[in-house]
Amino acid sequence: MSDDTTPRETDGGHATADLPATGDHVHESSHEHGLPPMESIRRWFVTTNHKDVGILYVVTALFFLVFGGVLALLIRVQLLEPGGTILTDAAYNQAVSSHGLLMVFWFLSPFAFGFANYVVPLQIGAKDLAFPRLNALSYWLYLFSGVLFGISFFQGGTFSGGWTMYAPLNVPIYMPNIGATTAILALLMFTASVTVGSVNFLTTIHRMRAPGLTLRRMPLFTWTILLTVWMMLFAFAALLAALIILSSDRILGTVYFAATDAGGSVLWAHLFWFFGHPEVYIVFFPALGAMAEIFQTFTGRRIVGRKWFIAAMVLVALQSFLVWMHHMFLTSINLPVKTLFMATTIGISLPFDLMVFALIYTTIKGRIRFKTPFLFAFGALALFILGGITGVFLGAVVLDFEFRGTYWVVAHFHYVMVGGVTGLVGAIYYWYPKMTGRMYDEFLGKVHFGMYFVGFNLVYFPMFLAWETPRRVFDYPAVFQPWHQLATAGAFLLGASFLVMFYNFYVSLVSGEEAAGDPWRYVTTAEWAVPSPPPLENYPGRPSYDGGSLQFLEDMGPRPSGIAAADGSGETRSDGGVAAVDGALTGESHEESHASIWPFGISVAGFLVLLGLSGLPSGATLYVTLTVAGFGLGLYTLVGMARESQTFHGPSGPFGESWPFARVENTKLGMWFFLASDVVLFGAFIGAYVFIRVAFGWSAWEIVPHDPIPGLMNTYILLTSSFAVVLAMVAAQKGSRNGLVVSLLVTLLLGVGFLGNKGIEWYELYHEGQWLSTSVETSTYFLTTGLHAAHVIVGLVIVCYMLVRAWGGAYLDDDRPVEYFGLYWHFVDIVWLFLFPLFYIL
Amino acid sequence: MNGDVIQLVVQVDDLIPRGTRMNVFESIYWVFIALGTLVGIIVIGYMTYSAYRYRSTGDHAADGDDDRPYLGELPTGGGKGRKLFLSFALSAVVVISLIVWTYGTLLYVESPVSAQEADEELEIQVVGQQFAWEFIYPNGESSFELHVPADQRVRLVVTSDDVFHNFGIPALRAKTDAIPGQTTETWFIAEQPGEYQAHCYELCGAGHSGMNAKVVVMEPSAYEEWYASMGENASGNGSGDASGENATATPTAGNGTNASGTASTNASENTS
Amino acid sequence: MNTRLYTVIYGVLFVFATLQVAVEFAGLDYWTAFGVIMALSAVKALLVAAYFQHLRYEPRAITYVVTIGLVAALALTLAAAYSITGT
Ligand SMILES: [Cu+2]
Ligand SMILES: [Cu+2]
Repeated sequence: MSDDTTPRETDGGHATADLPATGDHVHESSHEHGLPPMESIRRWFVTTNHKDVGILYVVTALFFLVFGGVLALLIRVQLLEPGGTILTDAAYNQAVSSHGLLMVFWFLSPFAFGFANYVVPLQIGAKDLAFPRLNALSYWLYLFSGVLFGISFFQGGTFSGGWTMYAPLNVPIYMPNIGATTAILALLMFTASVTVGSVNFLTTIHRMRAPGLTLRRMPLFTWTILLTVWMMLFAFAALLAALIILSSDRILGTVYFAATDAGGSVLWAHLFWFFGHPEVYIVFFPALGAMAEIFQTFTGRRIVGRKWFIAAMVLVALQSFLVWMHHMFLTSINLPVKTLFMATTIGISLPFDLMVFALIYTTIKGRIRFKTPFLFAFGALALFILGGITGVFLGAVVLDFEFRGTYWVVAHFHYVMVGGVTGLVGAIYYWYPKMTGRMYDEFLGKVHFGMYFVGFNLVYFPMFLAWETPRRVFDYPAVFQPWHQLATAGAFLLGASFLVMFYNFYVSLVSGEEAAGDPWRYVTTAEWAVPSPPPLENYPGRPSYDGGSLQFLEDMGPRPSGIAAADGSGETRSDGGVAAVDGALTGESHEESHASIWPFGISVAGFLVLLGLSGLPSGATLYVTLTVAGFGLGLYTLVGMARESQTFHGPSGPFGESWPFARVENTKLGMWFFLASDVVLFGAFIGAYVFIRVAFGWSAWEIVPHDPIPGLMNTYILLTSSFAVVLAMVAAQKGSRNGLVVSLLVTLLLGVGFLGNKGIEWYELYHEGQWLSTSVETSTYFLTTGLHAAHVIVGLVIVCYMLVRAWGGAYLDDDRPVEYFGLYWHFVDIVWLFLFPLFYIL
Repeated sequence: MNGDVIQLVVQVDDLIPRGTRMNVFESIYWVFIALGTLVGIIVIGYMTYSAYRYRSTGDHAADGDDDRPYLGELPTGGGKGRKLFLSFALSAVVVISLIVWTYGTLLYVESPVSAQEADEELEIQVVGQQFAWEFIYPNGESSFELHVPADQRVRLVVTSDDVFHNFGIPALRAKTDAIPGQTTETWFIAEQPGEYQAHCYELCGAGHSGMNAKVVVMEPSAYEEWYASMGENASGNGSGDASGENATATPTAGNGTNASGTASTNASENTS
Repeated sequence: MNTRLYTVIYGVLFVFATLQVAVEFAGLDYWTAFGVIMALSAVKALLVAAYFQHLRYEPRAITYVVTIGLVAALALTLAAAYSITGT
């Protein structure tokens, strides 16, 4: 798996065509590339630097921890006695649901991604993420999705159907309040944030590693983040499909989940758990990576069986998509499927045994220092072991039958998930000195751990003892009361322990001892080789592992050959040559930019649109206005960001290790990652259609369009438009402005023709009384082809923008934007190639 | 497709718990608890011991000093691969054998009786609705309390009128999802006459916490009497929409006139 | 890049799309027609991906990334649909 086996097309000669050496590094310490100073509020709105964004993520996530934590305490108070009364029935359900949603989505992953943002580029030797503005966009989408979720409480109450959001309780007939819609849209916005983030991290980690840092040599924390974003890319696409369908059921009136005679209720369970099980690892893996780093540092040992540890994680990541029906053992799924999913579930538990043993054996011959980070990591391992053992109980289907819907499940997944939180709390102590440049107070840290560990076990262990309590119920059998009271006491202790942490961090920030670059000893990873906190450009030179260990090379002159000379090895690390082509093509050298307001603007726009959509069915002027204003602002900000692309420069090559994507430029690779997630989005839509149709009775199903000819016409139109885009690219390559403009214009006209044709078809169906909510047949037809049409519209907006620029002579010296747009457009074409037969012919 | 597995399981037939759902659950549960506790104590005990033994202030702190990691090194795996794999193999054997063992019980629980014996079962339709349980008996009458005779196998055919619920009687270890538009099945045998509680185990709306039903296990003779008098008890007759169609085909299951007929042909399996 | 190759492929795609509808009217048995039509779609998709999106000329790794997504979606579709069929 080493990079050395990758074909390299470059050589020293190619590489010398690199960016002309410039004096840009003179600026480095004198100004921050257009970024206001740290103290300025403005900086935090415009920053795209990975370290700033990392801090924003951590702080915001901690806010949502408090939010979700307060809800947890409300739940625990309600449970002090059977039939507690401080919350009404409806309020209790809202508290339970939003606690789960906030903790799983708005706290856990973003908290981990705060560290990922801060640490991963440092560990792999990159100056920033591949797409700094998209990174800021991920953050702002995340923040505003959280604000949207907060607003949902004030719109007649938020979503109250549990974090699993089972159907059909989630549709308006059973849950009519606007706030429930808003909560779902908030989650949809969060999903968008995650998708953008995964594309960014995938591109960064695959493409931008320092020379010599092959995948197998990568630090374990970075490994876990890499696997996490891989899982995110596909799992969240399935969730996105589920959420789009649900939003449509709530706003447009489609009847997917209400169509219970066509399996609508079970369809939700499939879509949700297809996402939901990988989500467990998405949440847990970063914690595991942090634990591995902390274990190695504080034991002073290298992890035992490192490559097996990595192999085990890869296996888990793959298998995580093949176990989802173990959440559905009591539904109507058949016995062979139960058997299969029991087997895969047990299969996926085994690699974890190996990881646990690897961590435990790492302590042997250690020189173990029980500092706060280690205490938390060690505690997390113990908790995870308990969570794992109790999970094996659930793998035995006969036991699962009885545990389903009880506190056994609640206790088990809190041991696993909050076990993960424990690891991440270790991570915040571990990296606090790096991120702030100050040491925290060790004594208070230990106090925090003591309260935390006792509190944790006090709240969750009694749940095993009172496991027969039905989940999400506050009127439980009285025999369990003592256990629930203990748990409530534990919850308050656990909550209070965080006050100690906040106090500790606050005081240390002001008056803590200054931290050295490496405050720990026995660390190995590159983030400790730079000052705490690191300077804006991260490294004093170009980091390289070519010499067998980390070195910073002179950052002058033609780089790749410089590297070869510096380490004196015969092996030429000239992958940089590829990236040099990137630089050469843009025809300019540039320093990196770090400031952009557009990610913030786009997120505000998205926020307004979704808030508007939530109340759109009510027809209220306020909501209509918000939607329209949001779309307007969205268009304005998107164009603004696109225009800024000509002057905004993220990290440019040459990069070191880029296996297995050495020959693919960052933006193109990012586009492909995005398209891969879109494959799953449409795949899940088509899967939903197939599932519903099978449940309904395949041949009893009525095809909505009366005859396939309009669909065939549209197939011709799209195929021709794809061809036109190909011609546009060829024209741009040949430097023909006219050819480019005409081809793009043809594409635009064909796209409009496609939509017009579709519009006529829809109009006629509408007048026959066939509309979104008519039947499950029309629902699937209109929504699936509608999602495709939305993709066409987005494509056409991009074509318009490119037309204007092409008219002005753009793209002739650099046709890559035309090429990348083509990738998207052809993908939309391919999707239609399947929708056409499925919805028009068969 | 499970033929081979079934063959294998049959050979270790004697080990597989059978009997009532309570027997089955108890025997497996306690084996798991015992083993789980043992493994938990050993593993956590060992890791704690090891961490303490190699504490930086202890006697063994210098044991590995010849080979400590240093800043900027390229990672390599530490040794002890053999020990790692041994432990891993051991844990895999334990987990897999436990699951294979319980799989035999799963097969038993999934189809406890042959098709002929199914005649003797009492089949009751259970319909969840916000926020109550309705029980429809073979005679077409319905009740909001579940009355069953002791020592007889009772098969529940469960569905829902509105949202996703889950019907469970914890003391009798019967539980299954109540899904609108689908039917699922579970069964139990109650040995002790007495009163039990059924709960809803899936969040189904504001009244979920209180969505319980009384389960009355009666002496067979008392049950017969109660069953015969069902029609007279007007308040118990909740469902007025009983019609002549096949009970298994309608999600509302508002009818029980031919329910016993479907039970013997096992046709209700097909709807799931 | 070779405009002629692109043109040929465009022509093939056009013909295949027409064929799909022709198959529909050919009066074949439903599942045979289903198989043929979906196979034609798959071939068209492969052509677009391989040449218009020039996956043929990119590192194979990109094809794998997209394939993983496709396999995941297929696993969801097939397993979910199979799970509700009777045994
Ligand atoms: Cu799972
Ligand atoms: Cu309920």
